[in-house]
Amino acid sequence: MNIVVLVKQVPDTESPRKLKSDDSTLDRAAADGVINELDEYAIEEALKIKEAHGGEVTVLTMGPAKATDSIRKALAMGADKAVHLVDDGLAGSDALQTSYAIQQALGRTGFDIVILGSESTDARTGVLAAMLSERLGVPQITLANKVEIDGSAIKAQRVTDYGYDRVEATLPAVVSVVEKINEPRYPSFKGIMAAKKKPVETLGLGDAGIDAAQVGLANAATEVVDFADAPARAQGQIVTDEGDGGAKIAEFLASKKFV
Amino acid sequence: MIEWSDEDLMIRDAVRGWIDAEVRPNLDALESGELPPYDLLRSLYKTFGMDEMARSSFHAALAKEKSGEKGEKGERSGGGGAAMTMLPVIELCKVAPGLVSAMGVGLGLAAGTIMKRGTPEQKERWALPLLTMEKVGAWAITEPNSGSDAFGGMQATARKDGDEYVINGGKTFITNGPYADTIVFYCKLDDGRDPRDREILTFVLDRGMDGLEQTRPLRKMGLHSSPTGELFLSDVRAGADRLLASGEGGGKESARQNFVTERAGVAAMALGVIEECLKLSVEYAKTRELWGQRIGDFQLIQLKLAKMEVARLNVQNLVFRHIEMQRAGRPMTLAEASAMKLYAAQAASEVAQEAVQLFGGNGYMSEYRVEQLARDAKSFQIYAGTDEIQITHIARDLLSR
Repeated sequence: MNIVVLVKQVPDTESPRKLKSDDSTLDRAAADGVINELDEYAIEEALKIKEAHGGEVTVLTMGPAKATDSIRKALAMGADKAVHLVDDGLAGSDALQTSYAIQQALGRTGFDIVILGSESTDARTGVLAAMLSERLGVPQITLANKVEIDGSAIKAQRVTDYGYDRVEATLPAVVSVVEKINEPRYPSFKGIMAAKKKPVETLGLGDAGIDAAQVGLANAATEVVDFADAPARAQGQIVTDEGDGGAKIAEFLASKKFV
Repeated sequence: MIEWSDEDLMIRDAVRGWIDAEVRPNLDALESGELPPYDLLRSLYKTFGMDEMARSSFHAALAKEKSGEKGEKGERSGGGGAAMTMLPVIELCKVAPGLVSAMGVGLGLAAGTIMKRGTPEQKERWALPLLTMEKVGAWAITEPNSGSDAFGGMQATARKDGDEYVINGGKTFITNGPYADTIVFYCKLDDGRDPRDREILTFVLDRGMDGLEQTRPLRKMGLHSSPTGELFLSDVRAGADRLLASGEGGGKESARQNFVTERAGVAAMALGVIEECLKLSVEYAKTRELWGQRIGDFQLIQLKLAKMEVARLNVQNLVFRHIEMQRAGRPMTLAEASAMKLYAAQAASEVAQEAVQLFGGNGYMSEYRVEQLARDAKSFQIYAGTDEIQITHIARDLLSR
């Protein structure tokens, strides 16, 4: 089975995230890059599918040169090879453009199943899986917390507000996962040592057959009109206990509908 | 080597992530002794595939030995091996140095001795389960009346009785003693000669043997995550299959080889403590305010930070040098290993004490963690040869040339 897992490098959620004042894009230099957390679950699921059904896991990353750190980590966890889509022309692409670029790259790798995290911690649009399946003309299974593959059928549990739906589709398909699906493994020492020797193919726009006029900040379908820093946390309300502290806490909780 | 390689850093970050998720939340239970360290250590080994690596390098070494090739006995797995051993030690010591004592004694000392002096059968039977962390190992040499004079003052005896030996005696301060499955036990052959002149014998004993008592953990100043106990042997009968070969220079020489490995390991432990204390101290100096300014602006605080940084650089250089020497296959002299341990242990202890001082009242409180590291680091100056013993070993080695 040809399993492709989409891995995005995002700024470490532990560090303050910023947009650049000149072009309103993410300031990637301001923070350490890490694998988008939900993508780690996607990698784990891809490895599990490979372990159960055989095949190969390819990491596909679109991002600047420093994203190689994240690619190495995915390879250390056990993926077999990687494709790194890197080109200055891609900088500032929005979700729609990204789905196009990835579609083109997938044309080179081929796939039976594409797995990705259901959203990234930086932009949090959560739309890539849907856009990608539309472009590829294959079924989408989003927000999966359980995936089973049986021949060419894929069965999944899809998280909803009221519980979960059981859905089924035929491969090839695009699957986005949530954190309940598994527990991502740590890379073993052996895996870390082996990662260096695994093939990483670097693709520019031309290599992937991407039309430069359809990607990049200048051609984006969406625009960041304005942004502001998160407001500083306001001073909390101090209530002095005059024997009625308990009642006041209950009143407060009730007024906010916590109880 | 001037810095860790990218691969090393990946190993470090992975181990650090595991420690944050698995060890830090359990620190209170480890420190109270309620949670013995072994399941966590096994999990560490399994998570990172260290158990499988140990198993395959064990089988490779054994196959080599059986085919008659003179392998590099006791050496670790080549290139990346040294960093792979050191990094978990350094990272664990930032949180719970006791975990490293528990791990190091089983692997380095107990399994290490069996790997150096055992027959293939003995290695398979006892060393392999220790190397994969499946079983817990102890290395028993210290006695209530010996300590630094470990061999001279040793009173535990083995008496020959037919094909067997009958062992008697007591050991103390035995790391992993309370939980050990496998014990490498040093004693003297009772052959009627003056006790000081008797031959040293080394046996491998199993938990549950008749006459072997393993006490509950002793109360200590620090290293609470490493259970330490006493062993009492009363007419324990051991067959010759449990006796390790004397090797050149007898049991004494093997124990001394262990000293070198052990002393290098303590330097890595010291580096972990120093890095953590420095990190916590810098954060505190930047955020703690007194008289309307951060305390890092006061020169007396700056002096402490500067001294900590000097210690960090020096100890890191020693650790890097050790790794380089291992890669080059060059052995360390006893003087070098002892000098390294002496300096690193004193530096870690001093840095941790100064961190407590820098934190002031908060430093004396457990919540801020530096007090635990200060208590733990004190042990570095005592075990694996006291500071005083290191000094004599350095001098003796220099003067014997």
